[in-house]
Amino acid sequence: MLEVADLVTAYGKIEALRGVSLSVAPGSITCLLGPNGAGKTTLMMTATGLLKPRRGSIRFAGEELAGRAPHDIVARGIALVPENRLVFPTMTVTDNLAAGAYQRRDNVAIAQDVERMFARFPRLKERAQQQAGTLSGGEQQMLAVARALMSRPKLLLMDEPSLGLAPLVVEEIFSIVTELNRDGTTIFLVEQNAHMALQVAHHFYLMEQGRVTFSGTPGQVAEDEVIRRAYLGSAKA
Amino acid sequence: MLIDLVQNTLDGLMLGSSYALLALGFTLIFGVLRRANLSYGPAIMVGAYAATWVHLQFHAGFLALAAVTVLGAVATGVYVERLCFAPYAGGRRRTPEAAAIASMVGSFALWMQLEEAATLVLPRHLYSFPSFYGGPPLALGPLTVRVEYFAMLACAVAAAFGLHRLLTRTRFGLGVRAVIDNADAARLAGVNVPRVFLLVFALASALGGLAGYLIIAAHEQVTPMLGMWSTLKGLIAMMLGGLGSLPGAVVGALALGLMEAHSQWLAGPQYRDLVAYFVLFALLALRPAGLWSLLRSRSAGPA
Repeated sequence: MLEVADLVTAYGKIEALRGVSLSVAPGSITCLLGPNGAGKTTLMMTATGLLKPRRGSIRFAGEELAGRAPHDIVARGIALVPENRLVFPTMTVTDNLAAGAYQRRDNVAIAQDVERMFARFPRLKERAQQQAGTLSGGEQQMLAVARALMSRPKLLLMDEPSLGLAPLVVEEIFSIVTELNRDGTTIFLVEQNAHMALQVAHHFYLMEQGRVTFSGTPGQVAEDEVIRRAYLGSAKA
Repeated sequence: MLIDLVQNTLDGLMLGSSYALLALGFTLIFGVLRRANLSYGPAIMVGAYAATWVHLQFHAGFLALAAVTVLGAVATGVYVERLCFAPYAGGRRRTPEAAAIASMVGSFALWMQLEEAATLVLPRHLYSFPSFYGGPPLALGPLTVRVEYFAMLACAVAAAFGLHRLLTRTRFGLGVRAVIDNADAARLAGVNVPRVFLLVFALASALGGLAGYLIIAAHEQVTPMLGMWSTLKGLIAMMLGGLGSLPGAVVGALALGLMEAHSQWLAGPQYRDLVAYFVLFALLALRPAGLWSLLRSRSAGPA
């Protein structure tokens, strides 16, 4: 579904991605592990068009995304739940959801989707007319996920959705990830919480210093001595 | 004495409402791009010069002159955006501060260019411009109201109301608010941000052009100084109200109009601008968030 080949993205002279190649299979949950500064967020921002790659290609459903504008990529069916959520703080929860559907014109279906989001995230319904900036971290994360879903993505990218959230909220986020995937959304997530990721993801990549250094199944991750020590603590999974 | 006070307050509010139109346009650009557009006033001046030229050539009616002023300002505003803002606005930047400075300096350069161009076409220092109303002022008991000023008030109220509807009820308005809140998040939500920038420039310039027409028709004259004058009034009203807040811009503009009207009466016309600058200075020193924040925290009451 998503094919990344030899992707290079740079900030000036510093290459944050130094030839990344990976692929996300349709219908899967694919997880990207890696230390801070490995280039995971840069990859997400390049895939969504916020950053322009210097070389290489990103193909989605057979079409080249490199060089396209973010709104065009959203229209093609990719949505990102960004790192640190980035909700619209002075807009109401309802308007945040409406903004997520900005590329769509089917107003009736949009209104129905807002109701579906409220059914799935009851906390958001309670806070429908509240400014998003006044929500708790967990609620903002739910809103960021719901906003991304409002574009009806075929591929949902999530950048560290569990960052800074309480364990119960993290559980909730991951159960939503599983649920969305069961309903047919392909998911590509960056995650530091490898314990949680191991329970849901079908395939893993490890990125270090701008390169993919490992690719494997959950079983292979659990058996890999180095990854286990770095991401799962010393205990055997 | 009391009559004078009321009359001055009335005059100040009407003068302030023309500033409100200027400030709404200026603030819209600042709120969306987080950048000051120094060519905002000069674009209005170009519209005014285009209308003056049309007036001299064809003696066109007031609706045509108003339309030419607005269209001239919009065309120039778009030209400024393409040249000074669009190239520095795309995507994530390594050095956003440098891009902001490039935009501002670029808009200063275009200000000079536009002023030179206008005075090449119409080289006299001052041109007379027709009012849209030839009759006497309206009398409200002992008070008088110039029809031109009353039109400013009516247009400002209509524009503020229309802008509010546009921002809160339309898809475009949703996109504008999203960009104001967080441009990157807006991109990720699917908002075509460069397009929003362009349309906001066009809209802001249209508001400015409308203000420009009303002002030159009320003053019945056009000079090249209109450019700097419009930028300054818009900028001061925005800063009085609080950077980037649209309701704040209206409050700041009305306050500026009131201050000017009263200080002119109390101290004479030569002190009018001095008082406005002094109040701006005092406010920035004591309450940098502007008048709007003062009103809001007051009405919010104890937390």
